[in-house]
Amino acid sequence: MMQMSPAPWTRLRRALVAIGALAVLYGIAAQIGQKWLPHRIWMDVHYIDDVELLPTYRSLGEELVFLLQSGILPSSIAVSTGRILIGFFLGACAGILLGMATGRSRRIEDLAEPWVTFLRFTPALALLPLYVVWFGYGEPSKVLLIATNVAVVTLLGAHQGVRGVPRVYLDAAASLGADDRLAFKKIVLPAALPQIFASLRIALGLAWVTIVVAELIDAKMPSLGYLLALAGAYPRVPTMVIGIATVGLLVLAFDLLALFLHARATRWMKRTA
Amino acid sequence: MMPAGSPRVRLEAVDVGYTYSGQTPTRALEGLNLSVGDREFVALLGPVGCGKTTLLRMFAGFLSPTQGSVLCDGARIDGPSSDKGYVLQENAIFPWMTVRENVEFGLLAKGVEPASRRAVSDELIRLLGLAAFAEAYPKELSSGMSKMVEVVRVLATDPSILLLDEPFGALDAQTRAMMQDELARLWEQRRKTVVFVTHDADEAIYLADRIAVLSPRPGRVTANFPVELPRPRSLETRFSAAFSALKRQVWEAIGQSVASNAPKPSPSSSH
Repeated sequence: MMQMSPAPWTRLRRALVAIGALAVLYGIAAQIGQKWLPHRIWMDVHYIDDVELLPTYRSLGEELVFLLQSGILPSSIAVSTGRILIGFFLGACAGILLGMATGRSRRIEDLAEPWVTFLRFTPALALLPLYVVWFGYGEPSKVLLIATNVAVVTLLGAHQGVRGVPRVYLDAAASLGADDRLAFKKIVLPAALPQIFASLRIALGLAWVTIVVAELIDAKMPSLGYLLALAGAYPRVPTMVIGIATVGLLVLAFDLLALFLHARATRWMKRTA
Repeated sequence: MMPAGSPRVRLEAVDVGYTYSGQTPTRALEGLNLSVGDREFVALLGPVGCGKTTLLRMFAGFLSPTQGSVLCDGARIDGPSSDKGYVLQENAIFPWMTVRENVEFGLLAKGVEPASRRAVSDELIRLLGLAAFAEAYPKELSSGMSKMVEVVRVLATDPSILLLDEPFGALDAQTRAMMQDELARLWEQRRKTVVFVTHDADEAIYLADRIAVLSPRPGRVTANFPVELPRPRSLETRFSAAFSALKRQVWEAIGQSVASNAPKPSPSSSH
């Protein structure tokens, strides 16, 4: 039997139930689990015997209040999000423009293909040392690293979108008298938009992975990567948990925004699921 | 063979041949001759794969013959233009545009002012009885209506020639009959030169002034039948004796053209 896809609110309720159940279980574990966690030899070596491995909600709350009141968390969020936005914008512009160019012209595709393939299979973080040497410690190397990552993914999305425009639409437009300019604006672009948006969503997730790891390596205050690096150095588990949750929530928020824009841009499509 | 009294020839195919290149080159058309008079409704009737679409794409300006020539008003056709309204066999309604934007597209391409575009689209959409769907996306239309929107989309720029490639091929029999009536009504109102490709003899007889029967591949015109049924045509037409008699003649011609194209000792044919 075919399963109908449930109403949105049903799906939301299920998601909330799943999160709630996990939150309750964690609360119980944090209250009673601490003393059952295995003792590790490195704890003695580093003279840490009172590390909170499973912080309670109370200590998480206290840590959150501290991080907020001291301004550490807000400024870290602002700095990391700022880098994402600038890098994402630069990378998306470059990637989409290049992808459209390669999608429309076989010659440009042939010229660009080796580089795209090369970058596509090179972990962006492997480029970080090179970028640091070229562009210095600081903003440019991180922003450009994100831009590189985003550009490759969106290039492929735009390329496939443009290349995949069904021939019939282009023929119909041509026989209705459309020149190349109009056909690009009114046929190619809207037809490619769903794939471009899908690639933007993937690129956005990738951008967050890239920035946090880049900030871990070149850790400077303030940034979410640095916050995590610092928490790891002490080690302070409540700070880690809050840092991870912050990154997770930011990614989720950005993804929802992307999903919303995607849905708006493709209202005309038949929904099958 | 032209019906008597046709003032002038609009479209002409002279000794046209077309071979699709590839690993096994396919001769789609060979030695095909056809002329279509001004405001004449010609149905191209032939089996699937006989090159009907190939010929229509030549008239539309998307293909050049590998032999012979294809002419419009005596001049070689060298590309698509909005004076030859072409409705493709596939669904080519633009799904990201509303019904109105679809209908207005040809006018937009011509640089017509929004107000004038709207006047034209209003009229055409009303003609289809789709006023309530003017601002809707095509996903809300039935496949028959969506095809009719494609037909009026090419009518918007008022082309003098209409090229229709099995527009109702994918529809069920009932919807098909309704759409045929719709098209006949539109054509009565705005007489155009029409080339209508179909593999359905009933559809050809019901709509056309003349039927050109094509042989199986390589396609050529093997018979022409003027359809002298009174217009406007109706359900009465479909069940009239004249209709049945013509249908019988057409079917016999189809049978002969299939037999004439049965495997021959030599691939070259002369005319």
